[in-house]
Amino acid sequence: MRRGAVLLALMLMTGGAVADDGVTTTERGRDAYSQPFPGLDAGEREQFVRGRSLFRQAWVVAPSRDERVDGLGPLYNRLTCISCHPKNGRGRAPDGPGSRMQAMLVRLSVPGTDPHGGPKPHPRYGDQLNEEGIPGVSGEGRAVVRWDEHEVSLGDGERIRLRKPRLSFHELSYGALAQVLVSPRVGPPVYGLGLLDAVSGETLLALAAERKPDGVRGRVNRVWSAQRMRLEAGRFGHKANTPDLRQQIAGAMVGDLGITSSMFPRQNCSEVQSDCKHAVDGGQPELTDTQLDDLSFYLAHLAVPASRDGDHDDVRRGKATFAALGCAVCHRPQLVTGTHPNFPRVSVRTIEPYTDLLVHDMGEGLADGRPDFLAGGREWRTPPLWGIGLTEVVGEHTFYLHDGRARNLTEAILWHGGEAVPARNRFAALDRQARESLLAFLNSL
Amino acid sequence: MAVDIETGLQGVSRRRVLSLFAHGLLAAAVGRPALAAAPSPVVVLTAYPEEVMARFEAAFEQAHPEYRLRLLWRMPHDALPYLRQPRQGGVDVYWSASPRTFAQLAAEGRLQPLAIDRSGLPDHVGGAALADPAGRFTATEMAGYGFVVNDAALGPLGVKSPDDWAALADPRLAGRIVLPNPARVGFAPVLVDIVLQAYGWEKGWALWSEIAGLATWVDSGGTFVSDEVGSGRAAVGVSIDFFVVSAIANGAPLRFIYPSHGGINPAHIAITAEAANPEGARAFAAFVLSESGQRILAHADIRKLPVRPAVYSALPPDYHDPFAAAARGAYDYDGVASRDRLPVVASVFEQMLVQGHDTLAGLWARIHAAEARGRDVSAARKRLCAPLLSEHEAGVPNLHRRFRARLEGTQDQPRLREEIAWQWSAAKARAAVRRLLEEAGA
Repeated sequence: MRRGAVLLALMLMTGGAVADDGVTTTERGRDAYSQPFPGLDAGEREQFVRGRSLFRQAWVVAPSRDERVDGLGPLYNRLTCISCHPKNGRGRAPDGPGSRMQAMLVRLSVPGTDPHGGPKPHPRYGDQLNEEGIPGVSGEGRAVVRWDEHEVSLGDGERIRLRKPRLSFHELSYGALAQVLVSPRVGPPVYGLGLLDAVSGETLLALAAERKPDGVRGRVNRVWSAQRMRLEAGRFGHKANTPDLRQQIAGAMVGDLGITSSMFPRQNCSEVQSDCKHAVDGGQPELTDTQLDDLSFYLAHLAVPASRDGDHDDVRRGKATFAALGCAVCHRPQLVTGTHPNFPRVSVRTIEPYTDLLVHDMGEGLADGRPDFLAGGREWRTPPLWGIGLTEVVGEHTFYLHDGRARNLTEAILWHGGEAVPARNRFAALDRQARESLLAFLNSL
Repeated sequence: MAVDIETGLQGVSRRRVLSLFAHGLLAAAVGRPALAAAPSPVVVLTAYPEEVMARFEAAFEQAHPEYRLRLLWRMPHDALPYLRQPRQGGVDVYWSASPRTFAQLAAEGRLQPLAIDRSGLPDHVGGAALADPAGRFTATEMAGYGFVVNDAALGPLGVKSPDDWAALADPRLAGRIVLPNPARVGFAPVLVDIVLQAYGWEKGWALWSEIAGLATWVDSGGTFVSDEVGSGRAAVGVSIDFFVVSAIANGAPLRFIYPSHGGINPAHIAITAEAANPEGARAFAAFVLSESGQRILAHADIRKLPVRPAVYSALPPDYHDPFAAAARGAYDYDGVASRDRLPVVASVFEQMLVQGHDTLAGLWARIHAAEARGRDVSAARKRLCAPLLSEHEAGVPNLHRRFRARLEGTQDQPRLREEIAWQWSAAKARAAVRRLLEEAGA
């Protein structure tokens, strides 16, 4: 094992600092991802509740008497934010051709870049397949997922079946897709986002510059800030293609629901989608800045589930194994936040997100072949692991990774490739007891 | 990313195709057959939350792959004009918890006969009708009303768990009861009316006046009530059941109590008169009413009350069974009899008890303090309890017509002249009570 990994292992075994009070919740039931930071004052609670209502709101076709929430579409995926983030947790992929996409969407682009270096939208379908259209506007088509399976062996001879999605498109309303890059995604969990938003660009650059063991590199995605009109460090999205929480929300509102905002004032219609372009809107913009503020506040102040069972022997052993395998090189146990411009409660804290927010080469097995700013087709952002142990309790499933292909944590680990191959191979070589300890540790987060 | 598409690549060389495929670009259709013919859409207009919509959508399409559900969302007050559009806005099914909207649509001839098998589905639960006698709509689920209790907050007050509405009029609960504002929260007008039916008009308003004097308000739905009680800021809340029971099923340390005088608010389903896909609409309605559909209602994130009694035998023993409760007389409330007056009741409640609430609460505090000292303040109590209009006056059809537009979810409409008059009367009553209390030295 390289020196860096050893140091991390020692730090973990001796017990790192616990995340500061005020941002975690000890709730461990089905609402564990839906708790506000403890200690919000009355005004903050009101804003939190307003944001929660909007996050749960089913948006309405315009015109409507409910002008506050009209403007759905013209093209969209689902009616609500929580469709893709059920109970603020991760969505799941369809079981097969007979199931709807529901919490999954498909990103689209064509080779090349947009003027800011991001993906170049498909000329007919834009940057995301919107399966639904409001009355009078045809939805763009249907994506169907089938699963291809193969088997891998662990060191002790146990055989594990892995599955990989195969997409097909049907009922396309606006002509051929022809040359297109596609990337299916499930909605990620949304707690703790304010804390991640507060990790400074300087911190990310420093993390990227660190020498790491096992050939691990990791880099900061440089992405376009629609608000500040410049390239910045990416933090959010499966490829860290969005610089901050506010833009992440506004982007999802227009991309998934067709709700415009001051940040993204144009409806999501391509040049060939004339019914879409002529549809009635729900105001300009449809999401007011106040509503965007409320949504941002809500998501910034969703508490992170506190880790559990840290005194259990298997959890302690698993924690040591996590570090010893090299997992913690990318899934960084601790980060320090900087000063957030809007939310003082997330500023200057030591947090335990188990991510470095950098993009890493994860190998051909996970590759989508769709570059996104600096993130290449094999690169993905290290997803935070905090709260991951409550996935099943909250969401009634255990599907992981960007497209929900992994049916449990073991499968998720075995899909790691590229820079993570050494760590993945060390995991595969463990005996059953050590693997179970590692899983016990992950389930304690 | 491995992908098949129905439409082929156009104008791309074979070498380029292979290169694109290797890097995750789409390949041409590679022999994988297209799916069967596209399912025919069934357009459903509803106001259910995501938890309901997503589960019924997935289950229905699994059971009926020949159909695809297309969900449109609108609150009842917004649904009515939508369904009055030409071709009824393309909607096949209306499915929502708004009895008045269904009654209105039926009266306007905008619904067609449901014509589905209702075997095993009762027409009533207690005094609540579950089916339109003319067969144009039928209940698909029910919600009950009651009290949400935080034992940790209630215990220190020395107050027992309330078993009926009168138990809420306990001075020890001052400032610790939370109520939904019936003029702003869609489910709340029925809740007010349950008390008026159960205790009678005069005594019912008296009870509401005293409870309101002890209460605080929330202007949004039931989750806010459970937020307030769950946090301990309130010890008791009044709510429709599913928000709270779902929160409890998700781990909230709360209890929900169905009072001795309860009420049922049924949600209904109907097929529009101009449905473009009446077969699909009928299939969806039948699925919602089937045992499979009814069982979905019991999910922890939904917790509605099935209308198919046979389903309850498979539910947990503590799952509220309204049919069993009705047999004990808990659901004598007749929702149909009161339906037309609900907007009037909600508005009177607001003018009498919500507007000027600080004064009302102060007056009740003085009355309770005086009574605790043994003073006779019965005249003040009587004046503060008096309703602003008689039951007969509240039942006048002309008045109902003027308030008909006030459906669930309606907010911030200009006040009608009657409302201004009620507000003035309420202010005068409070001034009179203040004088009476001063005269009584209280």
